[in-house]
Amino acid sequence: MNCHKFQEVLPYIIETGGDAEEEGHLQTCPHCAELVQDLKYIATQAKLLLPMHDPSPRVWTGIAQALHHQGTIPEGRTSLRGQIMSFPSQAKSWTPMGWALVAVFLMVFSLLLINYRPHLPESQSSAQNMSAQPVALESDDQQLMARVSQRAPDVRQAYEDSLREVNTYITDAQQAVDQDPEDAVAREQLLDAYQQKEMLYEMATARTLP
Amino acid sequence: MTQVKKIIASGLTEAEAIERAKGGDAECFEALYGLHKRRVYSLCLRMTGNTAEAEDLTQEAFLQLYRKIATFRGESAFSTWLHRLSVNVVLMHLRKKGLPEVSLDEALEPQHEDGPRKDIGARDNVLAGSIDRVNLERAIESLPPGYRIIFVLHDIEGYEHNEIAEMMGCSIGNSKSQLHKARMKLRDLLKLSRAEKAARR
Amino acid sequence: MQKLTLKAGIGMMVALGTAGSLALANDMRSETRLDIAPGGTINVLNSAGSVSLHSGSGHQVLVVATSHSIKIEIDQDTTPDKKRVEILTHAKPEQKPTTEEARVDFEIAVPAGISVIVNTATAPITVDGLSGEMISLSADTGQISVHNVSKAHVHIRSVAAPVTLSAISGGHVEITTAGGAVQLTNVSGPLVNVGTAGGNITFQGDLSGGGAYTLTTHSGAIDVTLPETASFDLSARSVSGAVQNDFPLQQKAHTSFVAKPGSSFTGTSLSGSCSVELQSFSGRIRVKKQ
Repeated sequence: MNCHKFQEVLPYIIETGGDAEEEGHLQTCPHCAELVQDLKYIATQAKLLLPMHDPSPRVWTGIAQALHHQGTIPEGRTSLRGQIMSFPSQAKSWTPMGWALVAVFLMVFSLLLINYRPHLPESQSSAQNMSAQPVALESDDQQLMARVSQRAPDVRQAYEDSLREVNTYITDAQQAVDQDPEDAVAREQLLDAYQQKEMLYEMATARTLP
Repeated sequence: MTQVKKIIASGLTEAEAIERAKGGDAECFEALYGLHKRRVYSLCLRMTGNTAEAEDLTQEAFLQLYRKIATFRGESAFSTWLHRLSVNVVLMHLRKKGLPEVSLDEALEPQHEDGPRKDIGARDNVLAGSIDRVNLERAIESLPPGYRIIFVLHDIEGYEHNEIAEMMGCSIGNSKSQLHKARMKLRDLLKLSRAEKAARR
Repeated sequence: MQKLTLKAGIGMMVALGTAGSLALANDMRSETRLDIAPGGTINVLNSAGSVSLHSGSGHQVLVVATSHSIKIEIDQDTTPDKKRVEILTHAKPEQKPTTEEARVDFEIAVPAGISVIVNTATAPITVDGLSGEMISLSADTGQISVHNVSKAHVHIRSVAAPVTLSAISGGHVEITTAGGAVQLTNVSGPLVNVGTAGGNITFQGDLSGGGAYTLTTHSGAIDVTLPETASFDLSARSVSGAVQNDFPLQQKAHTSFVAKPGSSFTGTSLSGSCSVELQSFSGRIRVKKQ
């Protein structure tokens, strides 16, 4: 098989792999091997492009105005934000479905980690050169610390300290919810705690600075 | 606190918020907007490469959501359903603009090279390790619209070729071929960008 | 003797001049003007150094960049539709700059109506007098300061960078920081939302214009100072920290938690024009009169 024939079939085999002849060409042709490597790398990097952009507030303004003009939102409620000022007056019971929402946050963390695990630095020696990993950090958090291992020492320390603080926050909030599932404030704090952790993971993984 | 937090703090799940939004609960609808706006907008922005268009399309997608949410039966995840709705909004917009590439006519994207591709530049010029997010986003923006749509749908948003083929009205083979061309074009753009920077030094 | 003194003086001046030249030789200053369309966005990605944004005029972004090493490259670009200006610093290929070498200091003049997104690792960020729709700032450490902003959505995230806001009004303010302290002075708007894990939160203002204010922390302290004439609907709770309140409050008929004296309080001051929620686990909460 020559390069021409290989590159003709490449679009159809790049994800699934080719037959013995095609794989054989890849083993022996450095140009095609490099091409495949580059294309796969581009595809892999694309998967890391998280939704990073928020629309400007005028998008919601436009939606609310359009719904108001259609009569689907009562007059006086074209701007929904800021209208809600009272604290929830009646706590809802903490149903099993409510726990499912917490599980969603855990799934978000897991998905972030699954997406980023293959892209951790091949050499973990820089992580080993850091100050000794404390036992308290879970393996997922240690992977996050490995992710920031290339950053300045004070930045790494800030991440580590923040992770510990947030983990304690989650533990405390979880205990509060366990003690009183009806407590809306405790549930809100648990969600705040998870959002803090989500922020740390996003900030650790989103940046490509030197 | 945000609408999202208020909805959640009151013990409502997203499913319950959806049910309430179906009944016309504006606060729940706003909470759903808050939960999903980023993903919808990012999708629109990447597919169009234009912030003004992307904002208009985001607005249109959520207006369609408000009109159609009553038809959501829960057979798929809400985010998946909303995402598909948003993709259709963008594709319809592009068709109205008269972009024939949407139908993936291969003839409109002629090959420039006759022979097999060889490296551009030195042999050790692999891309691995040299792409950062900003350069990749910029390169994606520079893609011709037909290539960009396929690349965004498959490599970024994770649609399979059979789903793309169904959305775009083309064959699976066509979808694979166009994706390959998109990646090849990106490869060229990224290498060119790297070479230009090296030349400026 | 006089000749020796003169020679020594000349020698010192030469030495000082050489040292100064060497220092300056590594500093490279550039000034760039970039077109931007009305309603556009400036996106800045800088690892170290400082990023300072202030109001400018016309339809061009003026970027003054001072870098301190040849190992760093600054990319500045405008998208074809001029809706987005990208300013990015990165190490040149094969270069591994130290944190000091990676420093690039930016002074950016931003035209009216332009949104900004700034991401840094350790670079302090300062924003003054901008009027775009959105100001989104993100830093690991360093410092984030925002002053004199009206009708903009201010969105801040930090790992441990302290955050200072003053004279902010008319827009949404959302701050999330794990370890950074947050200080708000004369900040008001329809929504002010601050969440920290370990950082203290200090708020001083008059809560004018209504709105919903939520200050939440795990172990930090919350200090709120308000004028006697402030009108608010207040709910405050610390699980294990002390709470203290200077305002007489009318008790609310319904609350979402049972108020325990010493660790929580709820009530309305005057007409309750805005809502204020203060939540902490182990930090103290204080609401004081000015």
